[in-house]
Amino acid sequence: MWSYLAYRLAGAVLVIYGAVTIVFLVLYWLPGDPAVLVAGESATAETIANVRRQLGTDQPLWQQYTTYISGLVQGNLGVSFSTREPVSGRLWAQVPSTLALTLLACGVAIVLGILLGVTAAVNKERWLDHLIQTLTVFVTAMPSFWLGILLIMVFSVGLRWLPAIGNGSIKQLVLPVACLGLIASGRLARMVRNSVLDVLHEPFVTTLRAKGLRERRVLFRHVLRNALIPVVTLLGMLIGELMSGAVVTETLFARQGVGRILVEAIGVKDIPVIQGVILFAAVFYVFINTLVDVSYVWIDRRVEL
Amino acid sequence: MSGSTGAWSYEASFVMSRRIAGAGLAPFDRPRERWQVTLAVMPRLSLLLPMLVIALILACAAVPGWLAPFDPVDMDGDAILQAPNAVHWLGTDNLGRDVFSLLIYGARQSMLMGGCAVAIGGVVGGAIGLAAGFAGRSTDVVLMRLLDVWMSVPDILLAIVLAAALGASLPNTIIAVGLVTIPRYARVMRAQVIALKGRLFVEAARATGVHPVAIVLRHILPHTLSPMLVMATLGVASAILIGASLSFIGLGVIDDRPDWGFLLSQGRSYLAVAWWFATFPGLAITALVVSVSLLGDALRNRVDPRLRTDQ
Amino acid sequence: MPIFETNVATRRQFAGLLLAGAGLGALPAPGRAAPASRHGGELQFALDGAAVVKFVLDPHNSGFAPHNRVFRSIFDSLVVLLPDQSVGPWLARSWEINPEQTSYTFKLRTDVVFHDGTRFDAAAVKANLDRIKNPMNALVALPDIGPYAGADVLADDTVRITLSEPFAPLLRNLSKTTLGIVSPTALARYGDTVGQNPVGTGPFRFVSLAQGTEIRLAKNPDYQWAPPTASHAGPAYLDGIVFKNVPEESTRVAALQSRQVHAADSIPPQNVTAIKADPGLRLLQKELLNNNYTLYPNAAKAPWDDEEIRLAFRLSLDVDAIVRIIYLGTLPRAWAPLSPSMFGSGDRQLAGSWKPDYKRAAEILERKGWIAGNGGVREKDGKRLSVSFIDTQGNREKRLDVIQLVRRQLARSGFELTIDSQPAGTYVQKLSRNEFDLSGASQFAPDPDVLRRLHAPEGRDKSSVSKVADPEISQWLKDGTREGEAERRTELYAKVQRKLVEKSYAIPIYVLLYNIATTDAVSGINIDTHGFPHFHGAWLST
Repeated sequence: MWSYLAYRLAGAVLVIYGAVTIVFLVLYWLPGDPAVLVAGESATAETIANVRRQLGTDQPLWQQYTTYISGLVQGNLGVSFSTREPVSGRLWAQVPSTLALTLLACGVAIVLGILLGVTAAVNKERWLDHLIQTLTVFVTAMPSFWLGILLIMVFSVGLRWLPAIGNGSIKQLVLPVACLGLIASGRLARMVRNSVLDVLHEPFVTTLRAKGLRERRVLFRHVLRNALIPVVTLLGMLIGELMSGAVVTETLFARQGVGRILVEAIGVKDIPVIQGVILFAAVFYVFINTLVDVSYVWIDRRVEL
Repeated sequence: MSGSTGAWSYEASFVMSRRIAGAGLAPFDRPRERWQVTLAVMPRLSLLLPMLVIALILACAAVPGWLAPFDPVDMDGDAILQAPNAVHWLGTDNLGRDVFSLLIYGARQSMLMGGCAVAIGGVVGGAIGLAAGFAGRSTDVVLMRLLDVWMSVPDILLAIVLAAALGASLPNTIIAVGLVTIPRYARVMRAQVIALKGRLFVEAARATGVHPVAIVLRHILPHTLSPMLVMATLGVASAILIGASLSFIGLGVIDDRPDWGFLLSQGRSYLAVAWWFATFPGLAITALVVSVSLLGDALRNRVDPRLRTDQ
Repeated sequence: MPIFETNVATRRQFAGLLLAGAGLGALPAPGRAAPASRHGGELQFALDGAAVVKFVLDPHNSGFAPHNRVFRSIFDSLVVLLPDQSVGPWLARSWEINPEQTSYTFKLRTDVVFHDGTRFDAAAVKANLDRIKNPMNALVALPDIGPYAGADVLADDTVRITLSEPFAPLLRNLSKTTLGIVSPTALARYGDTVGQNPVGTGPFRFVSLAQGTEIRLAKNPDYQWAPPTASHAGPAYLDGIVFKNVPEESTRVAALQSRQVHAADSIPPQNVTAIKADPGLRLLQKELLNNNYTLYPNAAKAPWDDEEIRLAFRLSLDVDAIVRIIYLGTLPRAWAPLSPSMFGSGDRQLAGSWKPDYKRAAEILERKGWIAGNGGVREKDGKRLSVSFIDTQGNREKRLDVIQLVRRQLARSGFELTIDSQPAGTYVQKLSRNEFDLSGASQFAPDPDVLRRLHAPEGRDKSSVSKVADPEISQWLKDGTREGEAERRTELYAKVQRKLVEKSYAIPIYVLLYNIATTDAVSGINIDTHGFPHFHGAWLST
């Protein structure tokens, strides 16, 4: 087990390193001179050269890269090109909000998704199944900004129950989390339903039933556990999707978040900030997926380490 | 509906009814006959509608000019933001364009976006997942790490970078969305393949010296089709939805025959004053996604090999 | 040269003048006898910060209008722009200009203190101007001080600004938020990060900044130096302001309608009617002094270097229809590059100066060898008559909707327009490399000198949206900066604007009216002559 974890950890570090490297290269290739963008419209050639020196973008690619990586190893994320603040500071200001949003939305998606999926599977082809299938396919079919606007229209403007914008309080989280979580839960519920139905056809289920195990026990102890494998896979991916969804949701609900600084940083080619966000996303993603992979082992003993 | 589809849906319903009766969780003491009768009719109805919808959308995509009452490029300055009426059945947008005609022409863009992106994502992703899952060992490790790197970069970033480098256009958006979705197909495929590899019939085939390629083609690939199909149907949906999100961020394709996601994104700020402008594109997306998903489910029931072996 | 004294200038009642440019909207009457409820409260303001997260609260380093709307509450300027477009005293009590117009001597108020306790004096002014002048700092405000050569501290309350040559725009520029006075102590202490730690002398002091979402300001209780345009002397009524950055327009309107905020700005046209009709809401609006949103055919690239092709392009456009359809009658159409209320605007002279003429456009194009080809798009020597429009800001102020209509109108004459929407980096690069056919932009400014920054090749940035290089225009613009006499200056700019329009170098589209919608609990928000909000006189009734 321990060697497995160590192996996973090494893999995680590699993934993060890979992500940072690829993004570094892509950003370098992206058109536009950051120094010109920082110096502004009125800058002279001399000023731009000076800014370039300050930013370190006058150095060759490999040197910029090694400087960045060695800084990273020492825990230094660099300084934002556009605000000249440490990137870590800018990130920390935004990360809690994004984490709260994505993790809560993920939680909502898991609970709702498994609940609805199992209910639908158990009631296969009955009205409850049809209802759940219809509802889930409808929420899945909605772009997040569209669902978000409808939620704002109903719950903020119409009923005035919940605030439309900002972050800080729990109340302000309800609508954005509902928006992201509902959409993700629809996808999850469909996966759970199909997966549970698949497992129900496995011979071992018939065997268990034949042994006289109670239906509930068969369902939750054995069927669900096996049905969760593809579901858990989806879950790992869901985190990435939720992070992307956050870009839209954060803008719509005027919330803080890494999604928004990312979009802006790309616009002005603020490489250290983009790298910082990528690093955060990569670490978060790798962490969740390591959990997922470890949970395979727990869920299905047929997977060997 | 043509005869062949009718037979198809009948067969599907037959298979499904067998499945329910034989292995479902439903309590077994129900009168079997009644179920069989209902189920034989029900799926046919529930299939008819989505197939009709898809056929209609495909027709729109193929020959929009025959179906649209107006050229969507036409902007009538005297008819902006008109509510649905006898002339403009679904109203007009903020530029005085006929929303109904926009939707008909938008079908082509949206179907192109959804279909091509799924093709890119599904084929490339499926191949990677299959290779990783079946080969195992170092191939698996390398491929999965690469995918991890890929996935750890948020979708939108890749899309923005591509838009920045290539310029916003329909092919570029399709490429971006397709590339973004590769890992999800790969992951699902790999998980399925790994699960299947441990199954008796695969191990038996191996033990008897069947060629690996044959194992993959005959024993593994058919069994992975079911989740991949479900993924693909949902993939058409998610491709259109990602396209819509790109439009929301301002990276959409600004064509004079816009796709549905772009229309919805444009209409969103008019919801309070001209609900039809955003609502109908929204409904069009929903109708397409729902239909494709239902069709996918039906297909799944038909191609699922276990339904046959179980009998 | 005029000399202003504080006691000479009248404290103007601003209300009537606010609506001068627009004649639209209802305005709460500020400046009447103060009811007891005027004091206290925290104003929640939903600001259209666009999709920009980075709030740089350094007045010298942001040309972005939403930032400048916040600056006005934190920073004061040496002078204030009066409603008649002349300049009045503020932190400077009076000034004298030498006959050569190269030296401005300002007498400063002596009772002004920065939020950090630093005294405002001549050295503070010098520190600010020297900072802006230093090219190493690469600040956005640099062109605002023009040929600034240096400042001398003559006494604690006297500073002399020396110019290397006359620069007529200086006084108006000094009234801009971009030349707001920052505490020299803060400048020294925070350096590059002063934008996250703004310290000024304004009616509100900076409390906190949540990047991307929120700026909190609190009342400056010591404030006694409101400009003559203010509704009252003394500290602001509000205890504080919270600016919430809500880039999504439908959400901004929803936040106001749900009463989560007291006020929201940049209300889109489609919601203006509903807000005016709502008895619980009010709408203020006023022209933003600016170089109007204008389309620029790329005069440095074929075929747009041909005056007649540009003319055919212009004659194919029905700007009236564009403005009416997109802005639903909420904004006036622009005739001149400079917005109508700005000093030197040619709007009145140029009104009705041209009409769309599709026949003539077709004639010109035929004569020039552009013959209708495949799909109605004209071709010449196998090259299509295509127009690549470059843009970066998305559909801000519905500009992409404008372009979509432009595309439709141009198609009638056989032009084929494509929209090339790019992130800022690519956008700037493409502008610099001349890789576009059509651009469009607006710049807020109180002085017609903004035209020089756009249309005179010398001193213009490589990435300028305008590539006009017309010796006559350049000369007039140069003369304009040196001409101290208002009437002669106006004449120069009238000639510039006429030629820009006649030669189709610039096709002005609409005049932006900056607007703020508030709940009926809010009174006394002023939109100043520049078109930026002042919260000094605002209060909340309970």
